[in-house]
Order: sequence, then structure tokens, then C-alpha cells
Amino acid sequence: MNGLNALGLVVQDAIWSGIAALGFSLLFNVPVRTLPGCVAAGALGHALRTLLMQFGVGMEAGTLIAATAVGFLSLRFAQHWHTPPTIYAVAGAIPMVPGVFAFEAMMGLLRIATQPSPDLGVLTEAIVSAVKTGLILAAIAGGITMPGLLFRRHKPVIQ
Amino acid sequence: MTQLHESHPPEDTRSVVDQESPMPDHGQPVLDHETLTDVIDLTVWAGQLMLQHGADAERVETTIHYLGTALGCAWLDVLVSPNGIMITTSSGREFRTKLRRVPYLGVDLTIVSGVSRLSRRVVAEGLDRFHVRAELERISSIGAHYNRWLVVLMVGLACGAFSQLFGGDLPVLVVTFVSSSVAMFVRQEMNRRYFNPFLVTLATAFVAGLLASTAVQFGWGNNPPLALASSVLLLVPGVPLINAAQDLLKGYVVVGITRGVAGLILSLCIALGLLLAMQLMGVSGL
Repeated sequence: MNGLNALGLVVQDAIWSGIAALGFSLLFNVPVRTLPGCVAAGALGHALRTLLMQFGVGMEAGTLIAATAVGFLSLRFAQHWHTPPTIYAVAGAIPMVPGVFAFEAMMGLLRIATQPSPDLGVLTEAIVSAVKTGLILAAIAGGITMPGLLFRRHKPVIQ
Repeated sequence: MTQLHESHPPEDTRSVVDQESPMPDHGQPVLDHETLTDVIDLTVWAGQLMLQHGADAERVETTIHYLGTALGCAWLDVLVSPNGIMITTSSGREFRTKLRRVPYLGVDLTIVSGVSRLSRRVVAEGLDRFHVRAELERISSIGAHYNRWLVVLMVGLACGAFSQLFGGDLPVLVVTFVSSSVAMFVRQEMNRRYFNPFLVTLATAFVAGLLASTAVQFGWGNNPPLALASSVLLLVPGVPLINAAQDLLKGYVVVGITRGVAGLILSLCIALGLLLAMQLMGVSGL
């Protein structure tokens, strides 16, 4: 019963993140023929993270794994459609952006500044959100860059 | 090691060394002055188009190399800086150097992809420099594939999708969709009038924040502040930040730092615009 629920959640997740990736792909004016790849990268990346989190993996580690998968996928798509991999990497990374954590961090910091007597609890919450935002952003960046660094190496030409 | 050298004739070792030398000229025809001038003009144009529209520094450099060597140069030295490109091409004893300023024009991945692909097609299809010039002209005049109203709707829907990923319900989705669509329209109008990008981001976030605050004021949906957090996400500087990470990791540190700082300031502008709107509407956060 729990497994079916989790599957439904992951599918729902894939649909919404596919839509998010599609919207941003239009914004960045990607070539029309690459749209299926962009939607696939967005949907699969975020759905994989949600699936991992269902199995108890933390959000930061899950983001790193999912972003690495997106990185591999973009290299594959880039070969298939003869485009730079950045197109799919960006589309795949966008749905994983930690919008709520960034918002919470900002609100928390503001509350410290505006409160008459600053509260240590609010400060702690704000710092936790800020650190989570930073870690998730770093995981996205590292994850989607790493496959390229590992598998697209060249011997330096000038010695 | 000595064993190996003795077993091979000296001519063999020479030819291997020649192939790996930094400036190969395998009996390649030497380009005349006029051709070399044209080739450097094309390579600097191709590099400019890519850097202007959101390519990472390594891709700019490799594309210039592919293009230049495919058009007959023996070697190119390329320096990519955050807002300029410098190239030296050489062929035989002739060389030309060109510096071009590159203002940032906003993300257009069709141009990045088109120029990158062109540099590969030159070898595969045997294009000459006149073809390349025609192709660069075609790529730079493609323009937007997608109708601006379609972009407004889809970007609104994308932010709505974000609110669902964060756990919002239908009212939150509707408020987010409306506020980020209107914000996207404002952003297009300001960009058309060449406002400063930081100012555009600030104003767009402000508009999105004003509209999304209604959800909090009237208590629509299960978690109204999610509309605030989601409706400004259309402004997230995704391409500059991802490029910054790639540039930093691949050794283009100056380009990476510049792009990273630009992305950071854009993010601060989002926060500031949203805060102003919330203060004005008397609304507090999550």
C-alpha cells in the first residue's frame, strides 16, 4: 500500500518538474528539436531525487546523485541531438533549485533585523535554511559538471 | 627505455615528436594574408556569439579552435575573458591578432548550439569561409522560436509547477501562475527598453511579490506563502550560475568568478524586490 503511494508521488513529481523544465527551456530559447530532451532531463532528475528521498536518503545527497544522473543524461542527449550538453543540464537542474529554503533563509534573516529583541531560535532556523540552500546549490553544480570532467578529458596540447 | 630507442629507427621517433608538437604544419597549405584576415574575423564573431548568449568559457575556446583549424589555420591562441575575446591565428610565418569586446546579451541557447554545431560541420561537410560567414549570419538572425505570449504562459505554468513540487494545492497554483505570468510580461517589457538587468530583476520580483501577497492576505490555499516563494523563481539565474560552476572547475577562474558574482547579485535583487513588496502589503513569510 505504501509502495503504490510512493510510486504515485514520484509520477506526479515527474509531471510537475517536466512542466517546470519546459517553461524554462522556452525562456532560454532552446532549439525546438531539443525540447523532448529538456523535459526528460527535468522530469527524470527531480523524480529520481524524490524516489531517493522516499528511501530515506537526505535531500542534499539525493540532489547530488540526481544531478550526477542529469549530467550523464545530458552528455548522452548532446551526442544524440548534436548540441552542447548545457541545454539539458540547465533544464534538468532548474526543478531542483531550493526555492523554499532560500525564501526561508531570507525571511529568517529579515526577522532578526526587524524584531525588537532578537531570538536565537529564529537565527538558528535561518542559518539552517541558508546552509541547506548552499549545499543543495553546490550539489546541483557539482553533480551536473562532474560527468563532463570525468569523461571528456583531453591531453593538453601545449607542453 | 634505452632498449626501446635502440629497437626503433631514429626516423620513427622523430615523426612521433612532430605530431605532438604544439604548432603542427603537416605540409598544410599556408593561408595568404587576406584569407587569414577573414578567418580571424569569422572565429572572433563565432566566439562573440557564444559568449554573449550563455556558453561556458571552455566551449567558446574549443569552438573557436575547431572553426579556425578547419578553415586552414595552423594554430590559434584563444583568451576568453568575462567581457571580451582575444584570438591570435597563425599560418606559416603569417599571424593575425584580434580583440573583441563582448557585452552580455542574455541567454539564447539556440545560438550557442548553432555556432557549436557549425564548427563541427565545417570539417564534416567541407564548408569554406564564405559558407561559414553565411551560416553565422543565418544563426545570428534566427531570433526567438517561441511566441512571447506562449513564453509568458509557460513560464507562469513552470512557476505554478514549482509551487506543486513544494507541496501547494490548487489555489496556490492559480495565484502563482497569475503572478509569475504578469511578472514575466513586465520583465519582457523592461528588457525591450534596455533597462539594467539588476533593475529588471528587482522590479519583476516586486511585481510577482505584490500579486502573490494576495494569497497570504486572503488566506487562499493550504500554505499561502508558498505562492510568494514560487512566483519569483522565473528570475533564478540558472544559466549564469551553472556556467560559473563549470568555468571555475575547468580552470577559467576569472570568468567563473565574474559570472558567479553576477548570479549572486541577481539573487539578492530577487530577495530585495520580494521583501519590498511584502513590506508594502504588510505580509510576513512562512
